[in-house]
Amino acid sequence: MAEQAEDQEQEVSSGAAREPVMDAPGGGAPAPEEPDEANPEAGPENVEFSTGGKSIEIGNFRVFLDLRMPEFDMGPCKAYSADNLRRDEGSAFAVVADPALPTRQEHINFLTGMHMAGQIDLLDSEIAYWPPFGRNTMVLFYEKPAGGRVVTGESKKATIDEHEIGTVVIEPLMGVLQSFGEKNLAHRNIRAGNLFYADPLRQKVVLGDCAATPPGYAQPLVYETTARMSADAAGRGSGTIMDDLYALGMTLAELGIGHRPLSKLGDQEIMDLKLAKGSFQAIASQERLPLVLIEPVRGLLCDDPEERWGFAELNAWLDGRRTKPVQANSEKRAARSQNLSGRDYYTVRSLAQGMAKNWVSALAPLRDGTIEIWLRRGLGDNDRAKALADAMRQLQWAGADKRAAEDVLVARAILIMDHQGPVRFKGFSAMVDGLGYMLSYDVQHGRGPQRFADVIVRDIPAYWFGRQEGFSPEIQKLQQVYKNLRYYVQQQSAGYGYERCLYALVRNQHCLSPMIEQEYVVEISQLLPALEKAAESASEDSWPVDRHIAAFIATRLEDDIEGQLMAMQNPSDEVEYSRAIISMLAIVQWRHGPDNLQNLSHWVARLMEPAIKVFHSKARRERVETEIPKLAKRGNLVELYNLINDEQERRKDQSEFVEAVAEYSEAESEVFDLESSGPARLELAEKVGQQAAAFASTMIALLTVSALFLMHIF
Amino acid sequence: MAKGKSTKKGGRSAFSGLSVVASAVLLFMVALPTFVTLVVGLLPSLVAFIFDRSPGRTMARCVFGLNFSGVAPYILELWQVPSQTVGGATQQIFQPLALSIMYGAAGLGWLLYLAMPPIVANVLNLSAQRRVGELRKKQRALIKTWGDSLIKEVDRSGN
Repeated sequence: MAEQAEDQEQEVSSGAAREPVMDAPGGGAPAPEEPDEANPEAGPENVEFSTGGKSIEIGNFRVFLDLRMPEFDMGPCKAYSADNLRRDEGSAFAVVADPALPTRQEHINFLTGMHMAGQIDLLDSEIAYWPPFGRNTMVLFYEKPAGGRVVTGESKKATIDEHEIGTVVIEPLMGVLQSFGEKNLAHRNIRAGNLFYADPLRQKVVLGDCAATPPGYAQPLVYETTARMSADAAGRGSGTIMDDLYALGMTLAELGIGHRPLSKLGDQEIMDLKLAKGSFQAIASQERLPLVLIEPVRGLLCDDPEERWGFAELNAWLDGRRTKPVQANSEKRAARSQNLSGRDYYTVRSLAQGMAKNWVSALAPLRDGTIEIWLRRGLGDNDRAKALADAMRQLQWAGADKRAAEDVLVARAILIMDHQGPVRFKGFSAMVDGLGYMLSYDVQHGRGPQRFADVIVRDIPAYWFGRQEGFSPEIQKLQQVYKNLRYYVQQQSAGYGYERCLYALVRNQHCLSPMIEQEYVVEISQLLPALEKAAESASEDSWPVDRHIAAFIATRLEDDIEGQLMAMQNPSDEVEYSRAIISMLAIVQWRHGPDNLQNLSHWVARLMEPAIKVFHSKARRERVETEIPKLAKRGNLVELYNLINDEQERRKDQSEFVEAVAEYSEAESEVFDLESSGPARLELAEKVGQQAAAFASTMIALLTVSALFLMHIF
Repeated sequence: MAKGKSTKKGGRSAFSGLSVVASAVLLFMVALPTFVTLVVGLLPSLVAFIFDRSPGRTMARCVFGLNFSGVAPYILELWQVPSQTVGGATQQIFQPLALSIMYGAAGLGWLLYLAMPPIVANVLNLSAQRRVGELRKKQRALIKTWGDSLIKEVDRSGN
């Protein structure tokens, strides 16, 4: 396994050469080119693009570039004022997604065109050319809420009376959560800063965008549960409704106290405080919560998801009924501390976080058994101590790569301490359901896929699954996805690797192939038009399918293309390699169109030279060579592919070729025999000549005697 | 088995030799003039049979065939005389012309034996060359149809 990991390290590091451009538009997306204002054709064909002053038309909307609406910004995704060209009433705004961050496809599909009380209306979404970025990106169009933002400043007291919070905030938000829950989705963007009044009278609130960024990415750390808060922002994971309920609790706390809870503390301090005291206790110890809100906030901020308030408890509270009291902090506190790098830790979760932060120094107390003893004696947690002892025993069986085994031990020890927390490995920290978003973030922000590959190759998520208790369909589903990831990462050839993991895990990840990255290709149907555009400036010897495109097609196409990917494993076999590529593109065109791809067809035609070699017959090759330009002109890849993949013709060609080879070899060996049999032939000639002479002599004698005899008679 | 075969062959050869000797003795006793004519006339054949040790004794057979053709007219001539005598026979065969015909015929037999193998060798060589030409033409046609890939494939399969 260690060797595989090393191999993978080399493999993935080669694909991680891109450096981040952190000050570029798009919050760290690769630097865009300057927008070509003189050339309005620069935008994609599917979006009506016309710049008139400082606005552009995208689909049914006109977006005003100079009218920013910062109150609707979602993390790095900026909001702009927009007009709905199809409807007169109401106003809209556009949230322009950061192209370096994937959007949430399931949420876009779920919310588009649907009105849901408590959730801002998502009118439409388009992939469009965005001049400030100089490239395509996703633009989400929302109905502008009539009442404005609920929280207008960090320190300003919210304008909702604490006694009205139930009807103004909780009821509409519960409706949203229930609707999301029915679809097995989590909002993951519930916070006071993302609340807006739905009406000018400010009687109800609506939640803002939840689709423009990865789940939880834009959430302040305090809004994340103790399990998810230690993950990197991009890897916080899709989560469940329980995470939304926790965020709802924190939202109530913020609305109640008038500012973000623990806003005076840094992220690390917030984490330490929440881990040490529990979420509710951490808030209660630092902030003055209104009495009326203490009960729901305590219930919703319960760190044990099993104990956390659900809809039943919230409804009961809204109805004025008493609900069961919850334990503020269920985390067991040790009688004595465990020291690590000069700090004392009293709970397993805080120790796990400490170990993740002090990766190198965490190994020594693990190896000398100090932590195991602390677990047994300090906490009385024999189960964890036994699991840790097992993990350490496995270290003894490690092969030559001791260092890798030690890293695995630390990662496993962290999971033993905090089995609900993220997968942490040498600075990498992501929830298992956030691995894809984390990978996407790393790849697009210059970190490369190495950290992800290390985690997958070292099988850390498998250990995470092993530590989960009870049956959960979500975990079962994740486990199925994970099984494939390991296989993908271990494969070296095009169509696999981290690229395949990326597209398999993140449904809305646009294709990161350098050829079409600027086109923001999310759907398979967008791929060929983007390649058609790229073909205009493609170099003579480049292939239209690279590792990213192969992985993108393999993931997004409904058809099985494993055969083509197998053929692509050996690029030195030009014939099979080119056939596989043409075949892949032809299938995509056959399934998703468009019918006419002249530039791409010409590009493919240029690269078909090796594929023509599938025919042995010169006459057939000449016929194919004559046909190719004609078909390329028609722009149909399927016809081009059929030309070189006429199975009947190929089989006939092959069998005739085999016969010809046999015939040639036979002739060659006969010629060899004839040319090398001179002495033998002379020997034969002598023997035959002598026999012929003897025979002739005998015949002459017989004829003479017969003639004399006859002459004597007559 | 090979031993049995050689024994059989040796037996037949001995039988053949014996029958020749028996015939010669019979001929000596019954027709001495004819015997004298044959012995003198077929002297080259006798020498050839003695010295030719090749399998099948083709040279001896060659010489004998034509030698006998040269002797046969004199035998018939002898038989046409009513009273055959040794003197008559001796007189007949020791004429220079008769000896020349009989021994010249034997020489022709020997020449035939010498000339026939090169002729056959030339015929065989010419036939082989013609066949090689045909095969090369066929190969050129195949290369014209299938191109260099044919050669590559042949080389590959040969390797």
